[in-house]
Amino acid sequence: MRRDSSWRDTFVILVVSGTAAVVLNALAGPERKLLWIGSYAEVAVSRAAPPPAAAGASVTPASPEESGRVFAPHPDKPWVEISGDDVVALHKGGNVLFLDARRTSLYRLGHIPGARPFSVWEVGIDDKVKGLFAEGRDQSAPVVVYCTGGDCEDSHMVGQKLYFVGFDNVLVYKDGFPDWEKRGLPVDRGDAP
Amino acid sequence: MFSPWLTARVQFVLAAVFVVAGVGKIMDPPGFAHEIHNYRLVPGVAINVLAIVLPWIEVVAGLALFVGLARRSAARIFGVLLLVFIGALSINLVRGRPVDCGCFGGPRVPKTDAERLGDMRVGIARDIGLLLLVGQVLAATRREERDRR
Repeated sequence: MRRDSSWRDTFVILVVSGTAAVVLNALAGPERKLLWIGSYAEVAVSRAAPPPAAAGASVTPASPEESGRVFAPHPDKPWVEISGDDVVALHKGGNVLFLDARRTSLYRLGHIPGARPFSVWEVGIDDKVKGLFAEGRDQSAPVVVYCTGGDCEDSHMVGQKLYFVGFDNVLVYKDGFPDWEKRGLPVDRGDAP
Repeated sequence: MFSPWLTARVQFVLAAVFVVAGVGKIMDPPGFAHEIHNYRLVPGVAINVLAIVLPWIEVVAGLALFVGLARRSAARIFGVLLLVFIGALSINLVRGRPVDCGCFGGPRVPKTDAERLGDMRVGIARDIGLLLLVGQVLAATRREERDRR
């Protein structure tokens, strides 16, 4: 009786696949490479709209102070979702750090001026978070993180990582970059923030 | 039903589908990791391993089927993968959680929840169709082996 060789062949296919995967992942560039062990937090993205900007705030207020909103640290939450009006106010204030949680390829095509690329899906994210910590920034100062709005949870995941290293004033731009573009606000392109 | 003519064409279709699907994912492993994460079925520590290895299994098994090597093994692997894909889509459909299939890699296209849920139903139907093709290859190769004995 002939022995069924298909199980041996199955094993060979799996070994060849695994070997190719190991080699190609080792050779991949930073935007395509993955760490073998992922560290992805489960986050729950609310479907509700973020709290509106304070009464009297215009669509493009000149500063957070003028908008009447106070962005105090929130030590018991990884992030707070904010509206586009608040984001515009914070950006106009000029002293707030912006992080773009979308993929670097999208960042390159257009991002909020001054925002740094912080894609949670790319291999360098943990080093970037550690680097931010090492800069010695005021960890209670607002940090705005955004992705593509809607059900996008990348900005929440970056917020979670920042919270774990002590940043307790992470503000998630709920409607994300599409909202920024819709408002006709300036967009920078390329690798530089 | 089990003619070599039909089996050869079924093999070609299966191989083409899985090679195209695998290459799309190999081009962007972080994007595929994102799609796996969205299903909420795999623990975080296992997501990257799957995202790195699974597309290569699709491509290598697809190429094996295409050139006619290890056809039975390749078909068996596709059968298991399709059952997993059908299960993953079905669970999220029952949960009412719209996810992008992620079946062929590529960038995420903005869609409404209703569109995503519709795409998931189409994906399940497509995978069931592919599963029938896998069944044809498995049955045909079994018959060939029996005839050789």
